[in-house]
Amino acid sequence: MTREDETSATCGRPIDPAVLADYWLALLPAAEEEAVEAHLFECDACDDRLRGIIEMAEALRALAHSGALRVVLGEDFIRHAEETGRRVRQYDFVPGQTVPCTISADDDLLVARLAVDLSGAERVDLSFRDPQGVERGRMNDIPVRTDAGHVTFQESATFAKAAPSSSMVARLLGEYFFQHTRTIPGRLVGTGDRMH
Amino acid sequence: MFAEMSDAALVQCVAKGQHEAEAEVCRRLGPRIRLYGLRHLHSASAADDLVQHVLLKTLEALRAGRLREAVKRAPFVLGTCRMTVLELRSSQQRQEHLLEEFGGVLMPVQADPTPLDGERLARCVGALRERERSVVVMTYYDETSAIETGRSLGISEANVRVIRHRALKQLRACMEATA
Repeated sequence: MTREDETSATCGRPIDPAVLADYWLALLPAAEEEAVEAHLFECDACDDRLRGIIEMAEALRALAHSGALRVVLGEDFIRHAEETGRRVRQYDFVPGQTVPCTISADDDLLVARLAVDLSGAERVDLSFRDPQGVERGRMNDIPVRTDAGHVTFQESATFAKAAPSSSMVARLLGEYFFQHTRTIPGRLVGTGDRMH
Repeated sequence: MFAEMSDAALVQCVAKGQHEAEAEVCRRLGPRIRLYGLRHLHSASAADDLVQHVLLKTLEALRAGRLREAVKRAPFVLGTCRMTVLELRSSQQRQEHLLEEFGGVLMPVQADPTPLDGERLARCVGALRERERSVVVMTYYDETSAIETGRSLGISEANVRVIRHRALKQLRACMEATA
């Protein structure tokens, strides 16, 4: 029996975990928040369930702060991290450029910003290869702002601090969709080639 | 004796001035009030202050026989929490005179929950799709709003919410499956 099943068995109208998660993040509208709190003060089962949500939230917060994840991030996030006193080591890359990089024990986050024009891209993958061209990792279908002119990702600071000197090549692989219309026989001018 | 007692019976004992019954009331309500405090005050010490204040008010009301009807108790406690948070936000005054009177029956509420296994959670987060991982990290790093997260990642606000809910559901399933 899962935790949710147990809760359902003891509460006639259990609060959805997603709602509890939003409640803890202060993301609910005021009226819904008040209704949730009124229920929580009368329902042991949902109170227990909220405690599980809080455990998860606190662990995720700690993980996010650890800088241990390889993850695509937004520029606002990087800026905010710096403003709140985190040491963010950042490197900017243009295609084909080799950038010497390192990380010190005092750095909290390690960030790379890859310049790229993603106009029209429907899907973008970020591939990591060793100097021999062997793929060592891949981030599939990363979230991107196609108008940003770059992709910003956080490399695992935990991994980087422990890694020996080495080289790595990052490749951004865009997926562009070409929908071709066949040439109409007999016509001499005008083609139907279109790019979407 | 009091631990197995129903809320209604406990209230009657408090009204008769039985201190052990008051302690049991604190034990039952304290953790819940503390969660409310953590959610709204974002500080463990402030949440502890809230627990003390609300419990004192509740014991006062119980002693005075104002909460004999069960339907009134939870709304009273929640309403007192809300009022106290509003007061705490505008003033840091303590309720020392109440503590002097009732402090003896207050007992420490339960400690913060045991942290989850961080390594296991990291593996589960690592198994999420890229945009799910990005949304989760940005959301929980500093409670970034869906609007800000979406703007940074090129995702609509509504989609950020969907992605966050889906990711959390997967994380719960992953944590339970690997427990």
